[in-house]
Amino acid sequence: MSQKKYTIINTPVHNIDGIAKVTGRATYAFDVTLPGMLYGKILRSPHPHARIISIDTSKAEQFPGVRGVATGKDTLGIKQGIWRRYEELCDEQILPLEKVRYIGEPVAAVAAVTEEIAEKALDLIDVEYEVLPAVYEPLEAIKKEAPTIHEGVERNINVTRHIEWGDVDEAFEEADYIREDWFKCSGQHHMCMETRCAVSSFTPEGKLTVYTGTQSAYYHQGLLAGVLGLREGDVRVIAPYTGGGFGGKFELDAAQFCSAVLSMKLYKPVKIVFTREEDFIASKRRTPMFYYVRTGVKKDGTFCARESRMFSNGGAYTGMGATALYLTGFFHSFPYKWKGYRYDGYRVYTNTMPSTSMRGFGAPQGMFCSETQIDWICADLGLDPYEVRRKNGHTPGYEVPGQAFIGSCGLEECINEIEKWAKAKGKLPANRGIGISACGFMTGGIFNWFDTPYSFSSAVVTINVDGTVELYVGCQDIGQGSNTTMAIIAAETLGVKIEDIKVHSGDTDHCPADLGAWGSRQTLMTGNAVKMACEDAKKQLLEFAYAEMGINIVYDLDIKDRWVHIVARPERGMKYEDLVKKALRGKDGQRIMGRGYYTPHRKGMISPAYSYMMQAVDAEIDPETGKIKIHEVMTAHDCGQPINPLGLVGQLEGAASMALGYAYLEDMPFEDGKLMNPNLVDYKVIRSTEMPPSPSIEVDTYEQEGPYGAKEAGEGLTNPTAAALDNAVFHALGLQIKELPITPERIRKALAEKKAQEAQK
Amino acid sequence: MINDFHYLKPASVKEALAMYAEHDDCKIICGGQSLLIVLRQGMLAPEYLIDIKHLDELSYIKFDDKDGLRLGATTTHREIEKSDVVAKKYPALVAMEGKLASIQTRNWGTIGGNLAHADPAGDPGPVLIALKAEIKYGNSKGDKTVPLDEFFVDYFETKMEHGDLVLEVHVPAPEPKSGCAYQKFNLLDSDMGIVAAAASVALNADGTCKDARIVLGNAGPTPLRVTKAEDLLKGKKLDDKLFEEAGKIASEEAQPVADIHASEEHRRHVLGVLTKRMLKKAFEEAQKAA
Repeated sequence: MSQKKYTIINTPVHNIDGIAKVTGRATYAFDVTLPGMLYGKILRSPHPHARIISIDTSKAEQFPGVRGVATGKDTLGIKQGIWRRYEELCDEQILPLEKVRYIGEPVAAVAAVTEEIAEKALDLIDVEYEVLPAVYEPLEAIKKEAPTIHEGVERNINVTRHIEWGDVDEAFEEADYIREDWFKCSGQHHMCMETRCAVSSFTPEGKLTVYTGTQSAYYHQGLLAGVLGLREGDVRVIAPYTGGGFGGKFELDAAQFCSAVLSMKLYKPVKIVFTREEDFIASKRRTPMFYYVRTGVKKDGTFCARESRMFSNGGAYTGMGATALYLTGFFHSFPYKWKGYRYDGYRVYTNTMPSTSMRGFGAPQGMFCSETQIDWICADLGLDPYEVRRKNGHTPGYEVPGQAFIGSCGLEECINEIEKWAKAKGKLPANRGIGISACGFMTGGIFNWFDTPYSFSSAVVTINVDGTVELYVGCQDIGQGSNTTMAIIAAETLGVKIEDIKVHSGDTDHCPADLGAWGSRQTLMTGNAVKMACEDAKKQLLEFAYAEMGINIVYDLDIKDRWVHIVARPERGMKYEDLVKKALRGKDGQRIMGRGYYTPHRKGMISPAYSYMMQAVDAEIDPETGKIKIHEVMTAHDCGQPINPLGLVGQLEGAASMALGYAYLEDMPFEDGKLMNPNLVDYKVIRSTEMPPSPSIEVDTYEQEGPYGAKEAGEGLTNPTAAALDNAVFHALGLQIKELPITPERIRKALAEKKAQEAQK
Repeated sequence: MINDFHYLKPASVKEALAMYAEHDDCKIICGGQSLLIVLRQGMLAPEYLIDIKHLDELSYIKFDDKDGLRLGATTTHREIEKSDVVAKKYPALVAMEGKLASIQTRNWGTIGGNLAHADPAGDPGPVLIALKAEIKYGNSKGDKTVPLDEFFVDYFETKMEHGDLVLEVHVPAPEPKSGCAYQKFNLLDSDMGIVAAAASVALNADGTCKDARIVLGNAGPTPLRVTKAEDLLKGKKLDDKLFEEAGKIASEEAQPVADIHASEEHRRHVLGVLTKRMLKKAFEEAQKAA
């Protein structure tokens, strides 16, 4: 249970960088201009699959205003990837030497005195290609006769993943009812407000500085050092602000790589900014997946076994796709107890833009298939979908065999809250239904595919003579408010005010290494490191307070609201500012400095803690046109102790909008490998004015592993929505739609099929 | 990337027309809500842009019981949406404007610019044609007025020739016992219509249909009047069965093209549904009208 004795935690506050952002003073990589800076543009492949015969850059190099052109020959030719612990998964040369594998793949880059000149010079680069046969869909690419995309990779299978526990076959035998379905989950674009952007500056001293938008400055430092042949310490990545990430900004991108290569060639700063179209066609996407799901249950609704096979469209390269392949299979089991569970995932290369991690990290796809099928099974057997979820759901202390330990878990409370909410709505009019979906998600990944020898998170805190606090962290604020969260945790721990804390992040020269913003890890992992560092500093301060106040050592001292006091007699104490001055003198002028870190141990294979939630979507369908109107999206949510309730609401509303977009609007159709909607007219994103109400309630839990009881919030809620909407369509019209997004045409087709079936009967 | 251009800012309509006559490779900009998109995509790269946004002589909403409504070409969508007299006399026009893109676009985009752009998916075209509007355009030598349904020639093409500028839209005074309705089909309310339908109905004293217009949006190269469906209704006592039938005919007369947003079949089907619904709505309004 929550302790609720906090001074600052659980009080709604605005983000500490909010004013800088809304007044336009926040400096993003796009705003950076350096003396002598050149502008870069990238030439991209027009072919989905082709051999590069030759590249003639001579005309472009002679074009007035052009300062240099880079191709694969200017690189070390290193195949890179973020799974750098596994050589076979490092398969991407950002400026390829031999082959291009998707439309939009970078082939060359030009640096010129203006962006316009650089763009014009692209037309003067002469690339001779030998066009090769291409394949776009995983179920085609896996066939024997399909073209080979990466030499030596049989049937284009990039990675496979097997997850199994229990005796699956025996558990199926116990089942009274078995249901099988095939599903098709679409891709989705990250749609960051800030497109990919980097300013790279290489100096004759051999040091490279890169200003960029990133989810992890440390990853980009390591990845750039690796491909450029530099030491990590000679690469400085600066990212004070990042305009959204959503899983798309922690692999090396072409803006970063090409600007760095050009800068190293020319010894001049080079800036590259992707256009919106470039961001659409060549910045990776949510992984499209085909799922086969077989589920066995008992008559009373007890889950026995599940067996699933998944084929994902990996696109041309691995990227973060290997992690998504694992997580989709794991969260496909969530949040339920299965006696037997078996998942086989195949990530298949195709000649399309690579797929990667995106908010939810594979879970939205796995949960769409699972949560819809559960509702259909309930209908097949005449069972109550709330009761069945309660009966089989995770509980505190449960162990997912061989995979995960569940600490806190408020799933049952979430189910109860949503059931109460839905039942209060009474009988709904015709063509309207409420669909539900339960889910859970991780609080940071335990995986170390990057093979870092550093702690997963670290923090350093120093206290100035006036009591202000410098907090150095490597976590990345990408708009989600992590700097604010860290300031709150630091202020709470030290007993000062939020405005006393200066957060330093997003600069590898000055901040400790941290794996960054992915997998919902920072609040727990960096938060624990910050708490530990602040406790360290506070302990040092209190040592002086004991001496100064001359009190009995059995008394506890604490600091709250800048007041150092005896816990049992809060009126007896001294000012925090006075204590800091005295402590400084007492240490021969050395500043008080605290250090903290976090690396997970003995927490299973996936994550140190899991959030839980239940969502309901109230939707109405126009049966004549198939158009969906969403009335409300309601969530009951367990994220442990909320740190900043205002930030939490923002995260949950953002997740609801992104997940609704995935459910019925956003799609990335390709024709012959070409993306058909690479712009914001044709790619549909819900506008703020059209977002249905999406309230949420928090259930009360406390996570032992999290700082002050906190765990994941904001990413997990992208998981349940597609299923909840599909279930609403099911309850409104009796349709079982197995393909995303749920479009009017798919609804009409399903209605026609249903009518035909009924006519047959 | 937008190519460089010379920016011209005339002080009057007369000067604008003179500039337009003088420069061959030249476009009019009046807010740029449509033009900037094609400039940015590199589909157009004019040498000159003539900005008429500030020409107040073309910005007005005038209404007279006999003459009807006159909208100056540079009147913004938002001004039409917020006009009390338009709301009272032509509610369908206000309803249409209320869902035309976003407020930001409506604050800046103009009625003349929208019609001159001649996107068959544009919202005002079908409603104005259903309301029997005419359009006045002119050049340095003189002007002319044509019915709006004759103004559109093809995709992004109108009767206007180089040097011609839209000056005014005229909507006749509402007929007695008449109604008009418009709806577009899309996934986001403020988006362009995947398809759209406008219908107007005027009734005789005996309740039979005196006149009807059905205009489809994004169902062909121009806003498309479906005259066979209109003819079906004239002189008849209107009912749901007739609306259904008219919808079927409209769906057959339409010439929609498939793209990633919808198949041709789905567009035809929805056009039929919208025609039926808009006819019914216009009919019900006509029954209520004075």
